Amino acid sequence: MSTLSLSHFLILGAILFTLSFAGIFLNRKNLIVLLMCIELMLLAVNINFIAFSHFSGDMAGQVFVFFILTVAAAEAAIGLAILVVLFRNRDTINVAELDDLKG
Amino acid sequence: MTETGTMGLPYDLIIFYLFASIVVCASGMVIVARNPVHAVLFLVLTFFACAGLWILLEAEFLAITLVLVYVGAVMVLFLFVIMMLDINLAVMKEGFVRYLGIGTVIAVAMLGLMTAVLGPEHFGIDQVPAPARHGPDYSNTEALGRVLYTDYVYAFEIAAVILLVAIIAAILLGLRKPRNRKLQDAGTQAMVRKEDRLRIVKMDAEKGGHS
Amino acid sequence: MNYLIAIPEIFILSMACIILLADAFFGRGRSGMAYGLSLVTLLLTLGFIVFFSPMITETAFHGLFVSDRLSELLKLFIVGVSFMVLVYSREYLAERNLFKGEFYVLVLLAVLGMMIMASAPNFLSMYLGLELLSLSQYAMVAMRRDSGVSAEAAMKFFVLGAIASGMLLYGMSLIYGVTGSLDLSTIHDVVAYSQPDKVVLVFALVFIVAGIAFKLGAAPFHMWAPDVYEGAPTAMTLFIGTAPKIAGFALAFRLLIDGLEGLVASWQQMLIILAVFSIGLGNVVAIAQTNIKRMLAYSGIAHMGYMVLGLIAGTADGYAASLFYTLVYAIMAAGAFGFILLHSRQGFESDQLDDMKGLARLNPWFGLVMLVLMFSMAGVPPFIGFWSKWFVLKEIIAAGYVWLAAIAVFFAIVGAFVYLRIIRLIYFDRAEEEVTAEASGELKLVLSLNGLVVLLLGIMPSFLLGVCLAVFH
Repeated sequence: MSTLSLSHFLILGAILFTLSFAGIFLNRKNLIVLLMCIELMLLAVNINFIAFSHFSGDMAGQVFVFFILTVAAAEAAIGLAILVVLFRNRDTINVAELDDLKG
Repeated sequence: MTETGTMGLPYDLIIFYLFASIVVCASGMVIVARNPVHAVLFLVLTFFACAGLWILLEAEFLAITLVLVYVGAVMVLFLFVIMMLDINLAVMKEGFVRYLGIGTVIAVAMLGLMTAVLGPEHFGIDQVPAPARHGPDYSNTEALGRVLYTDYVYAFEIAAVILLVAIIAAILLGLRKPRNRKLQDAGTQAMVRKEDRLRIVKMDAEKGGHS
Repeated sequence: MNYLIAIPEIFILSMACIILLADAFFGRGRSGMAYGLSLVTLLLTLGFIVFFSPMITETAFHGLFVSDRLSELLKLFIVGVSFMVLVYSREYLAERNLFKGEFYVLVLLAVLGMMIMASAPNFLSMYLGLELLSLSQYAMVAMRRDSGVSAEAAMKFFVLGAIASGMLLYGMSLIYGVTGSLDLSTIHDVVAYSQPDKVVLVFALVFIVAGIAFKLGAAPFHMWAPDVYEGAPTAMTLFIGTAPKIAGFALAFRLLIDGLEGLVASWQQMLIILAVFSIGLGNVVAIAQTNIKRMLAYSGIAHMGYMVLGLIAGTADGYAASLFYTLVYAIMAAGAFGFILLHSRQGFESDQLDDMKGLARLNPWFGLVMLVLMFSMAGVPPFIGFWSKWFVLKEIIAAGYVWLAAIAVFFAIVGAFVYLRIIRLIYFDRAEEEVTAEASGELKLVLSLNGLVVLLLGIMPSFLLGVCLAVFH
């Protein structure tokens, strides 16, 4: 472990991925934090892609990250728009209170 | 990267550990922060540290994009929405503890598995040797731009359509007609015809007699 | 480089932009314009798909786009089913103040996303097509802005869909790392002929299969489906429950077989788990539902389980049976939702099981159409749903999974109860209030045709099956 290797970056990505997963499932109170966890998850994926791209000398991984960033921005815009619609109808963004649909 | 710094560690490893620890701590704070504004600010810190790591991986253009687009636009959007929604912070401060135990156990198990698969046994420096660093006249932006508009022009077009969908969706969901304001609609005013406003009633002329 | 093979996609994108602009500038008071233009667009797209078909496998855009027999068949059905969806949903939308140009633009762009998925030979185009489809769907579900239930459904759909995309991407990143390529055929060759790191590949496969299962709505990753089906306006449910399933087949087939066929032994195990969970849970829980949309959601989960069975067989005939199943399911589901939409009125959703009571007496012809659809979904011979199950089971038995076929048959019989109950409600119960369906002529026409197609396919299943087999041979 005394030289910087690919697995350093991959394990960092894995830690971020796990943290975002834990965040999504532990968070019962705030939908905005849930959206942020999704951003974290995409960041973990991006770290993986860039690390692989660097260590294999292939540009495709960086191009993929470019598009993930674009899509993530679009996704955040739509997610927040839905959140605003939800808040206007329910006056809450509490995850635990989203239980009208059950069965 | 054989130059060694303090404690016998190479410089790039020191930089990695510095930024990586910031990333891990800040993203952990995103999850546990009670106040959503603090969570956003920790997420910004995560992105900044990550940009540092990406520069270490010679992805300079993406690192700058992450800061400019992500921190500059997306995170500001998050902040706007948080401020706009006027969330009841007192409610946000409850809970979280209930699932913490089992959640931590699952997370640690998952991380252990992932580390075993992604660890040095499979992706160590012996399996994947470090590539040679690019020279000072290498431009990452140019290299990316060269393929982006040629080999990946199809993907580029689809990304444009995805952004179009985001625009349509955001307007469709967010736009509300002003309710309590009295506004002039110049278009309607200009389109008004005489027949809409004026009614000419044909009446017989008064004869002047009293009924 | 042959751009002509992408003409259907280019056309549909251009028309979506034209409709968007035309609706913004001249749409006021002419809400039928976007609808009419969209129908014309879809019909012309069908023509272009046939006319510009290269007849052989051909790629364009530097290997990011492929046109082969599979992509053409999938696109024909995606566009055709979307056409039916638009016709069925018009009146429902008009009655609920949702008859807007934006809806049609979103549908066209979602169709574009599905077409991109159908002809994606690369992780990148697959991901972008999938996101184009998903983002349009999220917006559609949330379109009814004054409904808290719709907004809740949209939020659940969004969060779970985004997690699924994240998992899919994580798996893709690892496969890219091991194989060094995003191109599915290159990945296929590396996995099959070189000696890549199997442990990491199987690990990545778990994430990919989980992502696919989420998008297909297969158990145990189905949580979004019932809530979204119930909460979304029925017109949007109709769209989400039909054409995207065909795109889901494209996603599963391209990634698992085109790309990772070398790992067939590993993904077979994972798909068996998905299939058993989906078939069992879908059929059993559907019985307990009182809301038809929710019931159809669980029925859809079960049907996706049967679809996956064909992939498990791991042979060309198995893939053909699976493709056949998906196409047939999309047509049947469209008809079933069309029947609900036929009876919904302003202020009345007609989405409870009790709302079905006595409908055959009021409307014998459409009662008969629903009878055909329900028998077909239940898998009663000689309807088409029987044949699609039969082909899948035949292949799975040929592949040596007799126990899996036994489970599938057992739960099919359990699940048949659900559909037969609807038939009983329609035919043998008396309606609480006698209101005849006042639907537009085109809805009645297309719904009748839909029923006839299901009936005819049931009588002559060999035609469509022959087409499906030709795709893989």
